[in-house]
Amino acid sequence: MIPFEMLEPKSLRDATALLDADDPTIRPLGGGTALMLMMKAGVFQPSRLVSLRSVEPRYSTITVNSDGSFNIGALAPLASLEHSADIHKHLPVITRTMQVLSNVRVRNVATIGGCLAHGDPHMDLPPVLISLGAKVRVIGPDSERTIPVADLLTGYYETQLAKNELIAELIIPPQNGKRSVYLKCTTRAAHDWPALGVAVSVAGNRDGLSEAHVVISAATERAQRVEQASALLVGPPANDKLFKDAGEAAASAVELIGDSQGSVPYKRQLVRVFVERALRQAIDGGITQ
Amino acid sequence: MSTANKTIHFTLNGRPVTAEVAPHHTLVELLQNQFNLNGARESCAQGLCGCCTVLVDGKSVSGCLYLASFADGTAVDTIEGVADGVALDPVQEAFIEAGAFQCGFCTSGFILMTKQLLDAHPAPDDDQIRHYLAGNLCRCATYPEIIRAVKLAATKRKTVTA
Repeated sequence: MIPFEMLEPKSLRDATALLDADDPTIRPLGGGTALMLMMKAGVFQPSRLVSLRSVEPRYSTITVNSDGSFNIGALAPLASLEHSADIHKHLPVITRTMQVLSNVRVRNVATIGGCLAHGDPHMDLPPVLISLGAKVRVIGPDSERTIPVADLLTGYYETQLAKNELIAELIIPPQNGKRSVYLKCTTRAAHDWPALGVAVSVAGNRDGLSEAHVVISAATERAQRVEQASALLVGPPANDKLFKDAGEAAASAVELIGDSQGSVPYKRQLVRVFVERALRQAIDGGITQ
Repeated sequence: MSTANKTIHFTLNGRPVTAEVAPHHTLVELLQNQFNLNGARESCAQGLCGCCTVLVDGKSVSGCLYLASFADGTAVDTIEGVADGVALDPVQEAFIEAGAFQCGFCTSGFILMTKQLLDAHPAPDDDQIRHYLAGNLCRCATYPEIIRAVKLAATKRKTVTA
């Protein structure tokens, strides 16, 4: 890696002032696991990194509120979500997703804010968080706004964040008994980037769903809701035929990217199969949250 | 732009140490170049293989993806600090007894991860072992022996603490 300047502000607001809206060679650093790969590959050559590791400790905490909603500091390591009893109780889909997310060492270091700000479509948590209706609170030098995770991600490694904005916290609304499942498909080695990620979250039972969210990632340029599939699912009896139709609708709706993980036709078939499978598991798996 | 070195202080295998680090140096480079500790070594350089595993404040990290300056104020433990003098750790003994390596390049990482695994699951089943060690690669493919070693180490630890 080439030399760069490293700053370590003590507050998140101070950190935004050390970033530069117009300079892409200056970036914030959380756990650094993803950025290190880019720097080692020479894809990213920073002039300055602003480490967020010394900011206020409250940005690393996980808070569950009385209504079952969560406020999670952006600097919380993924392992702290993985081992949180509150998350296991209210958001078991997150606990289960951690079991297939990278490895123990990366989860010990990588942060939830970094995972979202990186905008990498292959990551496991963004689709899950979109299906749960999560939002991020974002701060800039003189600004603050709240953005749904679904809108945060705008393209391949692209987000809505200005270069001097930072994710301060993740807000997950109460799930009120909805059931959620995340499935991913890797086509080469188990630890490889997925060819497809599917997150679904549904309210209701086999008689009919009152709410359904279908999210696709990895095969697409960004994690994204598939409204065509979600809309189809609400109302009619939730039988296997409906789930198959939802898989078909998702497969026709999303724009897929062919790469070394699989061709576009191959991934289209994966979408059919995995959307249907995820919906069946959500309804029949008995996993309530 | 200042790319100046920074002086950091940390505990290395139980001993307080000081080092000069550049912002772009990794922890594995620091351990090798300034402390002559070569047990953690960079292999895949992507955090996938586990050969560079070290413990920071008791938690495993990939030393190749961890900037050296992050170690400031922490306690770092490497494979070199696992044995108590000449007395090997039960996990080290178990790996030798089970023949759980061939070339040995990945072994220091597997042993540190196994120590963590046994802290989390004192009597792990095959699934727990496979899952926990999924982030460590042995290109000699001694996986069956590694699983046996982990189970043997669990038994040895129980005997030691009983």
